[in-house]
Amino acid sequence: MTAGERWWAAIACAGLAAAFAGAGGLLLTRQGTPGLRPAPAAQAAAFPAPTAPIVAAPQAAQPASVAPPVALSIPEIGVRTRLVTLGLTAQGTVQVPPPTSVAGWYARSPRPGAVGPAIILGHIDSTQGPGAFFRLAGLRPGDPVYVRRSDGSTVEFLVTAVQSYLKAHFPTEAVYGPTPDAELRLITCGGAFDSATSHYLSNIVVYATSTS
Amino acid sequence: MKHLRNIGRLALLLVASVLLLAAPAVSAAAAAGGQAAAGSGTGWIRLAHLSPNTPAVDVYLYSFDNPDAKMVLHHVAYGDVSSYLAVPGGDYSVAMRGAGASPTSPPVLSASIRVASGSAYTALAVGPRTGLRVRVFRDDLSTPPGHALVRVVQASMKHRQVSVSWGGKVIASKLPFASVTSYHAVSPGAETVAATAGAGDAKSAVTLAAGSIHTLVVLDGAKGLEIDNLEDADGSSQLPAGGAETGFGGTAARGPGSPMPWLEVVAGGSALAVGGGLGLRRSRRGARARRTLSPAA
Repeated sequence: MTAGERWWAAIACAGLAAAFAGAGGLLLTRQGTPGLRPAPAAQAAAFPAPTAPIVAAPQAAQPASVAPPVALSIPEIGVRTRLVTLGLTAQGTVQVPPPTSVAGWYARSPRPGAVGPAIILGHIDSTQGPGAFFRLAGLRPGDPVYVRRSDGSTVEFLVTAVQSYLKAHFPTEAVYGPTPDAELRLITCGGAFDSATSHYLSNIVVYATSTS
Repeated sequence: MKHLRNIGRLALLLVASVLLLAAPAVSAAAAAGGQAAAGSGTGWIRLAHLSPNTPAVDVYLYSFDNPDAKMVLHHVAYGDVSSYLAVPGGDYSVAMRGAGASPTSPPVLSASIRVASGSAYTALAVGPRTGLRVRVFRDDLSTPPGHALVRVVQASMKHRQVSVSWGGKVIASKLPFASVTSYHAVSPGAETVAATAGAGDAKSAVTLAAGSIHTLVVLDGAKGLEIDNLEDADGSSQLPAGGAETGFGGTAARGPGSPMPWLEVVAGGSALAVGGGLGLRRSRRGARARRTLSPAA
């Protein structure tokens, strides 16, 4: 092999190595965010099996009033937190809990267990590490969520869907709008983090309905 | 050195495979962006018996999409309203049989309902026993900001026409038996609902909260008219605007960013490899030519 041939071979090998490295880097950086399972597609609730007739009790003339919520438990993702109460910001968005380690209930939304969607927010993280709702996107349809109320009673919800929405296209009515039954919305951040604004670009919304 | 000649071809293969691998990732990202807005694929149905002289019935709900599925409400009497049943969107039929009648006996009355995901419906059995029919209404699930919605169902047969007011505001004027008004937007508060028909008038204190949706049913009671306040839906008294800033990025994967720098490295490396391979080939050909020429010289 001449010196010229060696030069050409070296250039070809270097090029090949660079191409492989580039491909490797591309594939490695395309992997999903660790700790966050991708949000599953919406699942329709199953129509009850026909084994035995289901009796629906006639609607109570006056719905029983329920006590305000004080704590939240989601065994599937290890959440156990007290609930603070939240209002609205000057911009009209829901306030977020001041500590990132606790979740909060928007006090102008229905109380959990009453008719309508109760709204509960928690942080995915602080600037240092995981927040109260770090693993929220890992919930699956059918997972139970428990809310304890100030009178000591507990109401159970089952997750029906987990969705991710770009904040720029947040479906306000679908998430917060009136519902005919007792529901729950658990909200946190997700998706890509924009270092320029220090905000996540998406919100994760967990939809759940009361079992009682 | 034969394998070195294949470097160019290898590089081309590499570029092609990277493009192939990247394609599904890009299309998956596009699909994730186009998810449905609704939380889940369910709608709601509520059933009511509002025919004064029709005895109690068993109400059956069948799904067209799932012939095995059915729900039964037993012994539904005049004035009874079920709670909402959450069902997957699709086509359903409602059948009513006399209370206790065999589930296989021919129904007294039946009707079909198309349930759209995210929508709520009320199926009313209305009219006199001889002219009994099922009317299906789509129930509103949003209110104007700061308001409540209310509508009236007139189910009194003793009084053929009833007027209803809420806090002095007339929301139903001389409403005939077995008819329903559309929803009225009203200012929230605690007010008196009055149902007037010239005789047997009724009054009832009703609280309508902002963001809530109600149906007031006028019934024949033992002593004149009765007013039943049904809660159709409830929501936040003030709807928040958009999403929430619930993260500070402490656990954020520093985003993958643009794939362009990586693709540039791949393209540059491939070009180098191809160029190197071609140069190598030319150089070896030149050497071979010199070797064949030299003995003759």
